[in-house]
Amino acid sequence: MPIGPEHEGRVYPPTRPYRVSRAKIAEFAAALGDTNPRYCEDAEPVVAPPTFAAVIAARAWQALFDDPELGLELQRIVHAEQRLDIVRPLREGDDVLATLTISKVRSRSTTDMVTIAVRLDAVAGDVLGTATSLLIHTHPEALA
Amino acid sequence: MSHFEPDTVRAGDQLPALELTVTRADLIRYAGASTDFNPIHWSDRHARALGLPGVVAHGMWTMGAALRIVTDWCEDPARLADYSVRFVRPVPVPDDEEGARLEVHAQVTAVEDGLATLALEVRIPGDKPVKVLGMATAHVSVEA
Repeated sequence: MPIGPEHEGRVYPPTRPYRVSRAKIAEFAAALGDTNPRYCEDAEPVVAPPTFAAVIAARAWQALFDDPELGLELQRIVHAEQRLDIVRPLREGDDVLATLTISKVRSRSTTDMVTIAVRLDAVAGDVLGTATSLLIHTHPEALA
Repeated sequence: MSHFEPDTVRAGDQLPALELTVTRADLIRYAGASTDFNPIHWSDRHARALGLPGVVAHGMWTMGAALRIVTDWCEDPARLADYSVRFVRPVPVPDDEEGARLEVHAQVTAVEDGLATLALEVRIPGDKPVKVLGMATAHVSVEA
């Protein structure tokens, strides 16, 4: 049975904690060409560029592809929209849990529009924010 | 360099424009930093098989790099409350030294309840500029 509106509200267990490191923040900021001093290895505290949240959130996407009921495959997915809601910036030393919820599914003849919300929480308890993505999934038979 | 003065922010303010360039080497670097190794971002062969003109930039690179127009302006990335985009057109990145160019503009469209609303425009410049992000919007705290 492929993904459909009946899967709205499905929540997957959180991913294993992701430790945010000073070196990874510096690497990510450099890859964006962003020299903001708050991301620099000498800053105190070192905070991550806001879109780094989406990197941790994407680790939770695997649960969708591992769920045999949905019939989703990464190579048939287009990332159409991205939203970040930030409670506080990710900081060096945060251990981050990512919890994915399927919030909306709209099925058409050859595609499904799947909205997923990944909530990010620090293991220590702080709510960090939510990364919401619209994924367009093309049915396998439409590509045959 | 002038400092950000949150209480002077008004609807209609234009942020200093930003020019970005992105080369194949930048995409390799972003792939490693973000762990997004989708081959459409490094292999022309894979990209063409999916109907793309060649290697294209990661949408999340464009989203993250364009956000610098906001964080360079407000200086402290912790002021960002939310940021959302639609990925409307891919950014082809040729295999040469120059890479692809993008121009980023942003305007304050409202200031309300201590939050400034910013509308971003991200385009591939040219005779017929190509808009690559749609509905790109950020909210930034303008509390003192």
